Amino acid sequence: MDPLLIGALIGLTTVFILSLGVPVAFGLGLVAIGYLVWFDGWFSLSVIAETFYAGIGHFSMVSIPMFILMGAAVASSPAGKDLYEALDRWLYRVPGGLIISNLGACGIFAALSGSSPATCAAIGKMGIPEMRKRGYPASLATGSIAAGGTLGILIPPSITMIVYGIATETSIGRLFFAGLVPGAMLVALFMAWSLFDAWRKGYKLTGQSNTGFTLWQRVQILPKVLPFLAIIVGVLYVLYGGIATPSETAGVGALLCIILVVLIYRMWSAGRLWTVLSDATRESVMILMIIAASELFSYTLSSLFVTQSIAQSIAEMEVNRWVLMGMINLFLLVTGFFLPPVAVILMTAPILLPIVMDAGFDPYWFAVVLTINMEIGLITPPVGLNLYVINGITPDVRLPTILWGALPYVGCMVLGIIILCVFPGLATWLPDLLMGPGG
Amino acid sequence: ADASARTLKASHQWPSGKGDLRDEMVQIIAREVAAADVGIDVRVYPGAQLFKPREQWNAIVKGVLDITAFPLDYASGQHPQFSATLMPGLVKNHDHAMRLNDSPFMDDIKAIINEAGVVVLADTWLAGGFAGKTDCIVAPEDVAGQTMRAAGPAFEEMLVGAGASIASMPSSEIYTALQTGVLDGANTSSGSFLSYRLYEQVSCLTPPGDYALWFMYEPILMSQRTWDSLTEDQQAAFMAAGEKAEAYAHEAAKAVDGKMVAAFEDAGVEIATMDEAQFRAWLAIADTTAYAGFADTVDGGRALLDKALAVD
Amino acid sequence: MDTFILAVRTLSRLCGVTAAAMMGASVLVVTHMVVVRYFLNESTVWQTDFVTYVLVAATFIGCPYVLMQRGHVNVDLVPLVLPHRARLGLAFLAAAVGLLFCGVLAWKGLDLTLEAYREGWQSASVWKVDMWLPYAALPLGLGLTCLQYLADVLALATGRDLPFNMRPDER
Ligand code: NA
Ligand code: NA
Repeated sequence: MDPLLIGALIGLTTVFILSLGVPVAFGLGLVAIGYLVWFDGWFSLSVIAETFYAGIGHFSMVSIPMFILMGAAVASSPAGKDLYEALDRWLYRVPGGLIISNLGACGIFAALSGSSPATCAAIGKMGIPEMRKRGYPASLATGSIAAGGTLGILIPPSITMIVYGIATETSIGRLFFAGLVPGAMLVALFMAWSLFDAWRKGYKLTGQSNTGFTLWQRVQILPKVLPFLAIIVGVLYVLYGGIATPSETAGVGALLCIILVVLIYRMWSAGRLWTVLSDATRESVMILMIIAASELFSYTLSSLFVTQSIAQSIAEMEVNRWVLMGMINLFLLVTGFFLPPVAVILMTAPILLPIVMDAGFDPYWFAVVLTINMEIGLITPPVGLNLYVINGITPDVRLPTILWGALPYVGCMVLGIIILCVFPGLATWLPDLLMGPGG
Repeated sequence: ADASARTLKASHQWPSGKGDLRDEMVQIIAREVAAADVGIDVRVYPGAQLFKPREQWNAIVKGVLDITAFPLDYASGQHPQFSATLMPGLVKNHDHAMRLNDSPFMDDIKAIINEAGVVVLADTWLAGGFAGKTDCIVAPEDVAGQTMRAAGPAFEEMLVGAGASIASMPSSEIYTALQTGVLDGANTSSGSFLSYRLYEQVSCLTPPGDYALWFMYEPILMSQRTWDSLTEDQQAAFMAAGEKAEAYAHEAAKAVDGKMVAAFEDAGVEIATMDEAQFRAWLAIADTTAYAGFADTVDGGRALLDKALAVD
Repeated sequence: MDTFILAVRTLSRLCGVTAAAMMGASVLVVTHMVVVRYFLNESTVWQTDFVTYVLVAATFIGCPYVLMQRGHVNVDLVPLVLPHRARLGLAFLAAAVGLLFCGVLAWKGLDLTLEAYREGWQSASVWKVDMWLPYAALPLGLGLTCLQYLADVLALATGRDLPFNMRPDER
């Protein structure tokens, strides 16, 4: 059967199975197994256990549970509350002020973590409850952080950039620098949209009092923010001071948070520690099971040569370079619906990059465009890891609500890609400046 | 490829079409077998698109995967004897590696491979070296007190013996670890030094020369299950293709080292060389660490090492 | 029947506690590794392997607990708009899909574990872990998830639970 047809069939089956309300991990896994048996025979089942295991059985996965734990520790302590109280007092005049500060926090966290679900989990755990407490609608609170969390793979360090660098033999250092300015641009775009949206809908979103806060009240709260700042500075130091690798940093950060919470907020009781650990366990089990299952799913798609065939047929088309870029973006967008970022990059980047370069596009610029496409994939169903992370954090908010909240930010990212097409220098300027022109 | 041809899956972990030696070997086999017109179409899955690097072994043993370019040491968890194919100083240079291929040592290794249900289509040994973030690493004393990342447990043991501290991390993190200073140096294959662009992060490279410590056996393998299902014509086509790939690899393996040196020189990295005395000093440490550990824990380990060391 | 459901839930809760303890241990081990290497300048040999295997094991062993807590996210758009009886049917169908997947993985995972045990597989690292140990978490965790699924289906069939975590007023 034609790989394109198989691909369409798998896509439809996935949507159908998941719409039954099956847990995403199990539904995805069963679709993968089903198609594997159908086309490769029963025999192919003999490696599924190892493939499933290998999907999460490597050290770089460690950062996900560790960052989730870090978020859980802070969220359960007054540290998070104090931080948001302070932000509230300072930003109460700004419509949507808290969303803006949360998006800023996502940007900072993205610089600590190479993974998007990890970024999303850490900020979401603290930020979403605080925003909702202050009257932000659930869709806005969850959607903005689902989107902000995707920055984890654009702002360095980034797991996907490393995978791209190896798959295409491009400089990982240059890729990291290339992602920095577009990352800041996306943060700004997200913030601009949030401001506009909050202003447009006339939300009374900030502060509980109409009178606002006196300068004294605003200054008074600042010392309470220090513990939180200490965590951020501490973790940044561990990472950029040469003490630990990105994966290890997450573990050290988690312990720092727990120690801080215990020492400063005197939360030393087995019950509260259990709450932190069990919350973190629930979310990390959920997300890692989905990642393991999507490894099976990617294995099936790769084994049946679906993704590669589509990328190949795009490569063989002879069209205008911008039409080509448009088609590639559309293709990446659709693959992003179904596959997690690393799988897409492994299967498509080596096929697409040569034609992209033939058409005169810069490989580092393309890496950024590809990464933003992958970010979109993280907040679109059926395989949108960040949506599920947020849903795990806020079980009382239904998935469609989160999806609708995140949708405008998809628009921001598409706009970001368009801006990058018009001004490619946004991606290439910084690496050229720091590492000399060319690659 | 004609439509009625049977498709075999070939997998490896390196980038495709970038001149990587192992990719090129697999592509040569695919091209040659297609040209032989025996009704076989080899589909290559490069860049770990199908299986993670280490998972390729069990896949090929079971016959779910047909062909792979596989660093044999990756399967040393299943067959501890395979560690001997990534043992410090056992292979001194590329010509020595060629002589080793036809020795009783490799006969023993291949017997284990065959017994596991795997056929060797082509042999290759690839070299590697050391790189330091601030200093050159040539003699054992150069690594004392330094944090290193080594490719292979035997090398880790030897480096610890020389007074280094080992940080184990996935190879994808070497770049960042050198950049931030978590690592002072790394030991890996010439190909990895190139594809991870470590020349951006180090100041001195010790490439493999007349005396190289790091050699790894990375053969092209076929599943016995697949092999048995082939006709005699098809088997002959694969054997012929394997020989072509092997001949190519022997020349190309030296070229990889040259390419690496050129890339590092272009990046302004100092190039250091290891002399015989320094090589012997490393061997003395390896003898009490990696070799001793291997001889103690692996069935027939001492005999295997002696057979390898006997090859002149 | 209540005894069965109760027993399974206790077992799942025990799994949750084990998984949480493993998470806590991993944090300590990662930090220990960084401290030993950075401050004491010693080698870190076993920590990377340990944390990797323990966190994977925590994921599989925590799986039944998370199922009991309804923590495995699903897309409940369709169930939400359906009438109660159809919703109940869908819940059984969804459980069948989940049960089938976990069953296959538990079975294949058991094969893998037994093979690793018989053949004496170890990790290809200096630490040399016996691989059947970390692999065993897969059949154990997913097997217990199957059990939790059975308990859930039973609770659903006897009206003890409502489908898709609905509240009685959503009926
Ligand atoms: Na990042
Ligand atoms: Na998606």
